[in-house]
Amino acid sequence: MKVFRHLTTTLVTFSAMVAASVFAFVVVVTFVVSAFRGVEISAWNVVTSQIARWFLLWVGVYVIHNQLPIAVAHGRTRREFLVAASGFSVVLALVMALIAWLGFAIEGGIYSLMDWRADEHGSPWAYFLMFLVWCAVGMFCAAAFDRFGASGVFWVPVGLALVVVTTAGIPGSGNLPFIRNVPVLLGSGWHALSVVAFLIALAGTWVIARDMPIRVRTT
Amino acid sequence: MRVDVQGLTVRYGDVTAIDDMSFSLSGNKIYGLLGRNGSGKTSLMSALAGYRRPIGSVQLDGEPVFENAAAMRKVCLVRHTADAADKGDKVSYVLEYGAAWRDTWDNAYALELVELFKIPLKTKVGELSLGQRSALGVVIALASRSPLTMLDESHLGMDTPTRYAFYDALLNDFMAHPRTIIISTHLIEELASLLEEVVIIDTGRLVLQEEADVLRSRGTEVTGNAADVDEFTAGLTVLSEKSLGRTKAAMVYGGLDDEQLTRARQLGLELGPIALQDLFVHLTEPVGGKR
Repeated sequence: MKVFRHLTTTLVTFSAMVAASVFAFVVVVTFVVSAFRGVEISAWNVVTSQIARWFLLWVGVYVIHNQLPIAVAHGRTRREFLVAASGFSVVLALVMALIAWLGFAIEGGIYSLMDWRADEHGSPWAYFLMFLVWCAVGMFCAAAFDRFGASGVFWVPVGLALVVVTTAGIPGSGNLPFIRNVPVLLGSGWHALSVVAFLIALAGTWVIARDMPIRVRTT
Repeated sequence: MRVDVQGLTVRYGDVTAIDDMSFSLSGNKIYGLLGRNGSGKTSLMSALAGYRRPIGSVQLDGEPVFENAAAMRKVCLVRHTADAADKGDKVSYVLEYGAAWRDTWDNAYALELVELFKIPLKTKVGELSLGQRSALGVVIALASRSPLTMLDESHLGMDTPTRYAFYDALLNDFMAHPRTIIISTHLIEELASLLEEVVIIDTGRLVLQEEADVLRSRGTEVTGNAADVDEFTAGLTVLSEKSLGRTKAAMVYGGLDDEQLTRARQLGLELGPIALQDLFVHLTEPVGGKR
């Protein structure tokens, strides 16, 4: 519980602060752009559908690559840490989805006041699932690289396959290089597949990290 | 805390770092783990701390350590760089980790040590000097107050005054809070007076485990007139010799019998305890390359 509490209080707070800062920045950028041309898209949707998932991926990497060795060094087992990290990924995705939804609400008000047009965005549930899977895949890939070194690259395609499905329900995020529009083909089953993708990523992380050696850091 | 190692093997691919090692430490002592570079010290300590799954058995107070929450709680290992610190974190944040995750963490003592070693709390770990990073490792280890505390050459980056401050802090803390402390070091003579028991390993195997005083009695330093020392040591195993003018000191391995002691007195030679470092060199790389 201590590990979960620590991860949640520190990283969720940090992520929320980053999200709030980015929101303030895109609002300013939108006003600057409006001085030169009409506003026709939601800047916040660009952030939440394109950039945020990479941030969540980074958090997942950070949790396994940086925090797991520290936890073991402080006398915690990998199992304890992975339980905490699994719970943390759900809380983080939930909070980030709420922030995304709150951002859309505020941005919608601003757009209405300024008589700007915004393109459609996904449901909070869609963002939650996307953030959840990307964070879990970040943990999965970090575990693979930490455990197998450069050979971890062979697990990256698995990670890619897992995240593809998550963008199906989010306008503006469905196109990935070489596999354009494939998520659209998944139709209404995307949310179930996202949950399955999360569970696979989490199970993969557990299998790889469960007895992973803690190596000496050279830097 | 009692440590029992039975048939421990650690391999990295084709390389065997620890080869079927077995020993026991009765606990509540300061142990010196001595070995040459690549002898397997870090691998051994990593297995003792549950950092890697052991082949063989590693038990702390009768419990296996790997992924055993109760046993892991009682262990702290700090290797060359502080494992418990991320280079992007500020020092104050590193201490917060200790306070948050370790039940036995003594934060007041951690802050006291940080002040002693002059480590800036607001600086990121990656921006600390090598000496300060080493000192931070020592802070994490000592403030953890873990029943099994291990320092793997953690103090080598410190300058001499800081190392002496560390030795004092270590001894004082051990006296106040007796526990099992294992230190690996190449600065053997500096630490020799602190060590109660010595474990020497080489090429992944246990060479010897002995009380430090017993080990010292395995050899003798013979000092006196150079010619007399040469006469006395003829036929004995001489580990090293030092000369200053007509005076010579020779480190002799092996016990001396009554006849030899009488002869030493007749020659006016001074006999003293041997340096642990000389014994270590002898035991890990004897003349002729044979052990």
